[in-house]
Amino acid sequence: MITMIVRRLLTALPTIAASTALLFFSVTVILGSPAGMMLGQDASPQAIAALNEKYGFDRPALVQYGAWVANAFQGDLGRSFTTQQSVSRAITDCIPVTIELTLWSILLAASAAIVLNTIPVFKRTLTGATTLANLIGITVPNFMLGISLIFLFSVWLGWLPSNGWAPWSDGAGEHLRRMIMPVLTLSAYYFGAFSIVYRAEYRDVAQRMFIQVALAKGLSEWKVAFKHALPNAVLPVITFVGISMGQLTGGAVVTETVFSMPGTGRLFVSAISGHDFPVVLAVGMLVVTGVIVMNLLADIAYTIANPQIRFD
Amino acid sequence: MRNLKSIVGLTLVAAFVVLAAFAPALAPYDPLRSSVNMVDSPSFSHWFGTDELGRDILSRVIYGARTSLIIGFGAATCAMLIGVPIGMMAGYLRGGFDLVAVPLIDLFIALPGLVLALIITVMVGPSLMNLVLVLGFVMWPTIARLVRGQTLAVRETLYIEAARAVGGTPGWIIRRHVWPNIMRVVAAQFAISVSAAIFTSASLSFLGLGIPPPTPDWGGLVRVGFDFLSLNPLMSLGPGAAVTFTVMGFYLAGSSVE
Repeated sequence: MITMIVRRLLTALPTIAASTALLFFSVTVILGSPAGMMLGQDASPQAIAALNEKYGFDRPALVQYGAWVANAFQGDLGRSFTTQQSVSRAITDCIPVTIELTLWSILLAASAAIVLNTIPVFKRTLTGATTLANLIGITVPNFMLGISLIFLFSVWLGWLPSNGWAPWSDGAGEHLRRMIMPVLTLSAYYFGAFSIVYRAEYRDVAQRMFIQVALAKGLSEWKVAFKHALPNAVLPVITFVGISMGQLTGGAVVTETVFSMPGTGRLFVSAISGHDFPVVLAVGMLVVTGVIVMNLLADIAYTIANPQIRFD
Repeated sequence: MRNLKSIVGLTLVAAFVVLAAFAPALAPYDPLRSSVNMVDSPSFSHWFGTDELGRDILSRVIYGARTSLIIGFGAATCAMLIGVPIGMMAGYLRGGFDLVAVPLIDLFIALPGLVLALIITVMVGPSLMNLVLVLGFVMWPTIARLVRGQTLAVRETLYIEAARAVGGTPGWIIRRHVWPNIMRVVAAQFAISVSAAIFTSASLSFLGLGIPPPTPDWGGLVRVGFDFLSLNPLMSLGPGAAVTFTVMGFYLAGSSVE
């Protein structure tokens, strides 16, 4: 167990280093100096040179990367080109919003996917509805779902506020009320994916002998489904939940934009359209590191949950 | 169930292909011609209303099918051209190539495609051609992983062993024996890739990094229409439904095969 964790850590670290370096070089080298882009096309060469010197863009890429990493380890991710605000500050402000949104969504999606797909294999009536729900989760883009919800609940029925986000300090009621539609939107996206994975595994498990035996000896279908089949089919969902948690910003980009939530996804989108590279770089690194770390944790959780699997 | 899936899927695909092919005949107006009737509500002359420049939204949605299908088919083809050879080589040759390819594929699959596409698109600039290439590049690992898995299964069969025994070279075996046996699954994956590409490109344009205006493009139409949601919901939900049904069509067509 320990050997496996150490070995996985040893492979994860170079992957993080390699992919962050790749990200850094593609953002800085391929684009050339960001100074030209910041000052616009009519900027004088002197102004560009001055800016290059100020931010250190005239140094070799490898030196810039080294400096960036060294600073990053001290919690300094540079300053935003557009707002001049500290990037680490911006990210620490945004990340709780994204984490909360993602946690609620994944919790809702995973429990719905597991429960809905556990019932219908025995109770056929629900299968059609669940299949349709899966299909909607996979194929309806987040922005379409979000806008439809806003139209239905805000514009038409007037039950919920259409956008924005309220901090907990505005009261838990207000906070949660504004969370409903974003969470529904984002969880649909995860629900479809979890459902497919779980359903495939569940079908396999349901065919196995011990399930047949449990049914044959007269246990109720519900008991067999939830106490015998479910625990044996839930493992792949654990891995998938892990991966989805790692994607955090990646999953929430569209949802946060639709509902104007101040999370890392929207921070990323506005940085992208404003060519604000320190922010793009920082959020990009966050995504890459998150994905790799969560994959690692998912593997570890998987091994603990299923003793048959050993990675050594 | 499977039958129903493929019927619904193929019908939707056919409908949107017809829409794209005969856009000039089907669209009631020129999608680029503006008028003084700005942000009109749906009416008999403009079924979906008009946009902020007075252009007919229905016509723009119909023409948008062209943009989406070009991106969908183009990106899926690109992804296949990269993913299929890599997957077959990794699966058939194994060894060093496989050892390098698999972690690379896994890393790319784990990264959120939309974030990757956003970063690359902002670097190369949004245009039809670039979007096709970017999405192809983002999607190839999924195909490579599937093809590798399929190849691994085929590789162990007796007829491959026989082909090897009579002296077939790897290249010949891959072309003559492996490829025909995995073609069906790859074709299904092609349809699913088309749906994924349309989905992602619509999200990109919704976020403001799609085909530059004035070309009609569904994600961009939703983005503009969203600002006018309380005035005319069809302005955003109309093109949004077009994206949804196209994605659904290709997804159903692809997933009913396996």
